[in-house]
Amino acid sequence: MSVSVTLFDGPLPHAVRAPDAATGSGAVLRFEGLVRPLEPAGAGQPARELEALEYQTYDPMTERSLHELACEILSSLGLHAVRVQHSRGRVPVGACSFRLEVRSAHRAEALAAMTRFIDRMKREVPIWKRPIWRREVSPPGEACRQPPAARSTGSS
Amino acid sequence: MPPPGTFTILLFGPAQDRAGSGQVTVQARVECTCGELLRALGEQHPALAFALPAARLAVNHALVAPDHRPRPDDEIALIALVDGG
Repeated sequence: MSVSVTLFDGPLPHAVRAPDAATGSGAVLRFEGLVRPLEPAGAGQPARELEALEYQTYDPMTERSLHELACEILSSLGLHAVRVQHSRGRVPVGACSFRLEVRSAHRAEALAAMTRFIDRMKREVPIWKRPIWRREVSPPGEACRQPPAARSTGSS
Repeated sequence: MPPPGTFTILLFGPAQDRAGSGQVTVQARVECTCGELLRALGEQHPALAFALPAARLAVNHALVAPDHRPRPDDEIALIALVDGG
C-alpha cells in the first residue's frame, strides 16, 4: 500500500503511469481536472471566458492535509495505492491542475475513492483558486486579478 | 514584538482578497480560545464576516478545535472557503 502526494508549480506534467507493483491490483483509475474555458462570474451570472486559474496553497499544511486524506481513504476502502498531484500558481485554460490515481483490487472501491477523496478535498484541504478572466489579462509585467467580490470555480 | 493579546491571523483566497492583505491582527485576551478568536476576528474585521460561518483556524499548520487556546506567537491561519481541484 502506498500514498504519494506532490504539489507542482503551474500545470501538472503529463501523466506517466507508475510502475505496477506486485499488489494484485485489478483496477487503476485516474482522474484529471482541467481548467475549463468558461465559468460563471458569480451565482446566476453568465459564463465568462477564463484565461487561467491561480491556485494558492498553504505550505506545508496543504501537502500534509492531502496526504492525511489519501491515507485515510486508502485505509478505509482497502486500496492498494493513492497518488495525488495538485498545482499551485497559475494554470491556463485546458491544462491539468489536479490528478488522482487510485489502485485497488476491484473497481467498486476505486470508484468510491474518487468521489470521496475529491468531495473531501474540496471541503477540507487548504487550497484556493482565483479566476483570471480573459479580458482582464494585463500587459506583461503588470499584475491583474479578479476583483475580490467575485469568485468562481473551474477544473474539477 | 506585539503586545500581549495581539494575534496575527494569516488569510488566503477570498478572505485575503476581501481584506486586501495576507494577514490581519486581532486583539483578544491572551488566554482566549480559537472560537473566541474567530468571533473577535469577525467583530474587528467585519469584511471577513462572510467567511466565518464555515471557517476554522489552523495553529502551526494543523486544524484545531474551537476550545484550543493559541499562543500569540503561534502561526495562526484562517482556513475558509477552500476550493481545490
